[in-house]
Amino acid sequence: MSYAASLATERTSRPTLRLKRMLSGGAAVVFVLYLAMYALYAWFEPSALSLYTFTNLMNNSAPLAIAAAGETMVVLARGFDLSVAGVISLTNVFMAIYPIEGPLGALASLAICMAIGAAVGAINGFLVAKLGLQTIAATLGTMIVCQGLSLVFLDAPGGYVAQWVSYELTDTLFGVLPISGLIVLAVALLWAGFSRTNTGLGIYAVGADEQAASLSGISVTATRFAAFVGAGILYGLAGFMLSAQTATGDPNAGESFLLLAFAAVALGGTSLSGGRGGILGSIFGAGVLMLLQKVLFAAGVSSFYTGMFQSVILVAAIVLGNLIGRTFSKGAVR
Amino acid sequence: MNQTTGNDGSATDTFAHVEDRRASSGIDRDLVNIVAVFALSAVLILCSRFVSPALGSWNQVLTILTLSSFLIVLSFGQGLVILVGGLDLSTPSLVVIGGVLATVYGSDGNAFYVLPIALCVCALIGLVNGAGVVILGIPPFIMTLASSIFVASAALGLTGGTPRGNSPEILAFLMKERWLGIPVVVYFVVLFAIVGWIVQSRTTLGRRLYAIGVNREAARIAGIDVGLTEAIPYAISAACAGFVGMMLVGYSDGATLRMGDSYLLPGIAAVVIGGSSILGGSGSFVGTVGGAILLTTLGTVISAIGLDQGYRTIIEGSIILVALVLLREDLFSGLRLRNRKA
Repeated sequence: MSYAASLATERTSRPTLRLKRMLSGGAAVVFVLYLAMYALYAWFEPSALSLYTFTNLMNNSAPLAIAAAGETMVVLARGFDLSVAGVISLTNVFMAIYPIEGPLGALASLAICMAIGAAVGAINGFLVAKLGLQTIAATLGTMIVCQGLSLVFLDAPGGYVAQWVSYELTDTLFGVLPISGLIVLAVALLWAGFSRTNTGLGIYAVGADEQAASLSGISVTATRFAAFVGAGILYGLAGFMLSAQTATGDPNAGESFLLLAFAAVALGGTSLSGGRGGILGSIFGAGVLMLLQKVLFAAGVSSFYTGMFQSVILVAAIVLGNLIGRTFSKGAVR
Repeated sequence: MNQTTGNDGSATDTFAHVEDRRASSGIDRDLVNIVAVFALSAVLILCSRFVSPALGSWNQVLTILTLSSFLIVLSFGQGLVILVGGLDLSTPSLVVIGGVLATVYGSDGNAFYVLPIALCVCALIGLVNGAGVVILGIPPFIMTLASSIFVASAALGLTGGTPRGNSPEILAFLMKERWLGIPVVVYFVVLFAIVGWIVQSRTTLGRRLYAIGVNREAARIAGIDVGLTEAIPYAISAACAGFVGMMLVGYSDGATLRMGDSYLLPGIAAVVIGGSSILGGSGSFVGTVGGAILLTTLGTVISAIGLDQGYRTIIEGSIILVALVLLREDLFSGLRLRNRKA
């Protein structure tokens, strides 16, 4: 069946397809995993159910959740974006050396962070979509350049993030709703809308079968480019949220996000070969990874060993995802 | 119906691509590239005299060769992984493991069996990488990134943050002694380069790796055990990285848990600058050696000028990007293909 035909079927039988996509995409699975993890956390640490701990958890998870959401866009279009680490470092350094106070200042900082991300994303998009470079190689190059830039602006951890940003954005709205959680929710809602636009659907189509997408009239170049720019903007937002949480700058702040972002995407059930999955799964995937750290800490496991658990979970998630993908869509997944 | 046509189309495309690549990466182009990289290093060394009179001397050349030995050994393994279309991001952690095993267990005269065992441990970790890629179908860079973090976390936990012990004598001898006025490691690295070139370009294993890198399916049909062969480069890369850790221990008389960090990206950069395609299936180790020497020279000159690590990193990244753009396989052949189609 050609892509155009499958698109037509999709339009007519949306609900069943969406259910299937959710199951095969694994968003439901990771949501259950998240609840189970939270129960485990609450068992080790009864205070986990308090608003204070929940807000803390949201604040800790938001940067990774948003970064993973960005990475998902590129992965869906069948690519890998390593520049996530570079953009987060760069925006974090920017926030720490040019703090702009007040709510308007925060808005300006946010805009600049997103612009930095968009610029890096545009370069990635140009290298990949226009010049035809391999995504890993091109984004590896931009990641290194971004890390170098961060080091040039700030050669050692230090600096202060604007107080308004670090206080207000880690607080709660009306005393009950964590603001960082609301921002993540906003990202999820934006994606829900965007994934229904032509460009959004195009990202899935290009990731699933580039040739078929191109034959059915989708501009592969423009779609890839859009995916990278969108991802870059989200990395910028992630760097902004990270700065709000740490309140200081670190030229290597983004490094630890590299593995975790991919782990969150894989845990969330997005296929690493593109075309299948979604941002919601990645957000919960990020939540699971951050909860894992908390649970290990609460269980008294030395933080030295966190990396071992994270890498095992990443590999397990990919293997499981491959298995699920194979059972649900026989033949379509290689 | 549509499906079949689509498949046929993509199949022809794959073959067209392979044919093109062979046409575009003839001996001439490779040779030009290798000569250019070496010439650039030589020019850079000579020009560095303008920066500081201490640079550009014979001693300076020997220092650069000593410093590039780490990168040359490391990028041999990385080059083989890239040759089969993979990427090894676990090298920093394996550098650490190699160094830590050598200092913790190899200090008191039993180095002659500890070092080989340590190398085997590294190779085994590499085989796990290979198995993850081949059997479980995990993308190479994610598999190696995961094992890198696993290994780093294990090393951190086992050493409690500070590895103890000193360098075994044999490693200090390799890295610090001179013979006939030339550092021992320079002889070693020349020998390593020759052996590495032979392994990659003149053995059955090497040719099979090229075959897999160019077209995995064709290699399978030609009777190559693709799964097993594809896993071997990961083991070699891990062993090379482990050995670099030992060399670093001999050079600086101790291991640290972050000593591998600064070698990951240059290791990949050396391969790409040396003219290998990041997609696999082309390039030669001689080019990689040139890339490693060029990068080391550049690093030395940059630090002599007094530029910070940040600028060095930016230059490294830019070099990778420029090399990728200039060496694009499809730059010329793609145009040709388009003309033929039209």
